[in-house]
Amino acid sequence: MKQKRSTRLVLTLMQVLLAIVVLLPFFWMVSVSLKPPTEPFAIPARLWPDHPTVGNYVSAFRPEFRTYFLNSLVVSLATVVITVTLGLLAAYSFTRAQIVAISALVGLVVLAQMFPHSAIIIPIYKMMRSADLLNTYWSLILAYVSVTLPVAIWMLRGFLLKLPAALEESAAIDGATPLRVFWDIVVPLSRPGLIATAVYVLIVTWQEFLFALSFTSTKEMRTLPVGLNDFIGQYGIRYGELMASSVMVSLPVMAVFFFLQRYFVAGITAGAVKG
Amino acid sequence: MRKDRRLHWLLLAPALILMAVMLYYPMFGTVYESFHETSFLSPDPKFAGLALYRRIVADRTFAEVVVNSIVWTFGVVLLQNILGFLTALLLNQNLPMQGVLRAIVLLPFILPGVVAAILWRFMYDPQLGLVNSLLLQTGLIENSVAWLADSRMAMASVIVAAVWKGFPFSMLIYLAALQNVDQSQIEAATLDGAGPTRRLLDVTLPAIRDVIVVNVVLTLILTFNYFDIIWVLTRGGPQSATHIFPTKIYETGFGQFRFGEAATYGVFSILVLAVLVALYAIVQGRANRRRGVA
Repeated sequence: MKQKRSTRLVLTLMQVLLAIVVLLPFFWMVSVSLKPPTEPFAIPARLWPDHPTVGNYVSAFRPEFRTYFLNSLVVSLATVVITVTLGLLAAYSFTRAQIVAISALVGLVVLAQMFPHSAIIIPIYKMMRSADLLNTYWSLILAYVSVTLPVAIWMLRGFLLKLPAALEESAAIDGATPLRVFWDIVVPLSRPGLIATAVYVLIVTWQEFLFALSFTSTKEMRTLPVGLNDFIGQYGIRYGELMASSVMVSLPVMAVFFFLQRYFVAGITAGAVKG
Repeated sequence: MRKDRRLHWLLLAPALILMAVMLYYPMFGTVYESFHETSFLSPDPKFAGLALYRRIVADRTFAEVVVNSIVWTFGVVLLQNILGFLTALLLNQNLPMQGVLRAIVLLPFILPGVVAAILWRFMYDPQLGLVNSLLLQTGLIENSVAWLADSRMAMASVIVAAVWKGFPFSMLIYLAALQNVDQSQIEAATLDGAGPTRRLLDVTLPAIRDVIVVNVVLTLILTFNYFDIIWVLTRGGPQSATHIFPTKIYETGFGQFRFGEAATYGVFSILVLAVLVALYAIVQGRANRRRGVA
């Protein structure tokens, strides 16, 4: 569609404005993280460091931070692998099984996506306490797998519904067992859906705060979001280090997202727009 | 067929059992807890009947939490959806750099919630923050404002931070819906002499009405449940000016170890959610019927 020059100019200005609104806080975060210790206290605040340094990153990457990072990595990766595996198995049966109760079960999965975590956390906490799992990786992995599974099943189900049935049918006629069909045909064809789901689960788990805050009690078990929240008090007014830590917490998910953006956007919007 | 069915139940079992134990059972568990009292000094639950409900409803903070939750939820949802929709319209024009701009706009959405909250906490700092600096330099305010410490400004401030973090999600959904609108209808309207505003109101909006309604209800649910931003920015303060259900539940349960009262707050929030979820089911069902899908 052709646009008038004046219209184009207005639209371009709005684009620039939008980019500024979104980027200004990021710019500020990176800028402060590069400022030597006294510069954040300049009044009025300066947008760009006069003497940029990576010193804050060096001092923020201390042993505690590395522990939190490792904990987040272990918990997130375990959750991604378990959720995507269980989610694909369930989604496969949800879309292929001839079972009367299926649509009711799908309804329960959709409903479970909307449960408020804060309202169910106390019974979960008590179960973890009885099972002696508090302050372990397992308490977090179990909680994260459970809360991400409903959305994962939903995303993968939407994806599997769109796969052509012909391939699976002909394989079945050739005598392949359902498990063979699943492994040789469904899994390879589901790759884009699996990637989208894995990215979604990773983004959710990497930033999860409420369960991690409630279930971990020692520094050895803290994950990055909780550790970062602790830093607010510990760093006091060392804003440079706080911002440097924030950048380092954000970078891994941002990197994953940028490489796999295409899959993720398709996965999220498919469910939301098409139902 | 029979053997297939057994296999399918086997594949479903792990997910279903996990969801039953970790999501559905705790829903009922919360109701059970709300009838039992515990405290830091006496951690063994004692049956309390409806005493906790009476105590909480009589407490002044309960009314505050209810009002705050309403202001927070509607404030964030309204602004996030309007901003998300306008951004989607802008990104749906034929302009250069749209791909880059979309990637930029998505940044706050991927940014971990705690990081976003810490970043905004610093932005709002009365002396060192960028918000006051910019507003003072441009003369929009004359004195520094304590955005998070002033009980009249705190709620508006956390809402702005949450909208900044949340609008990309709404944008993404609306952009996908806009790209699905039948182009021939828009061209037909153009040939009939309809300008951009007429085309938006007469063709585009009716075409994506269902997506808008469903998305608004979905963001109502997500926002009502959102804990991270408020907890890191204000912990529900000053006093209780920004306490919403999730922050109040966490503080009561894990700050004061009053699990019974926390669960009672939880039951109230489940009731609110039940209404929203019913609304979601209605609008989603209507949207599906209109599209002719079961």
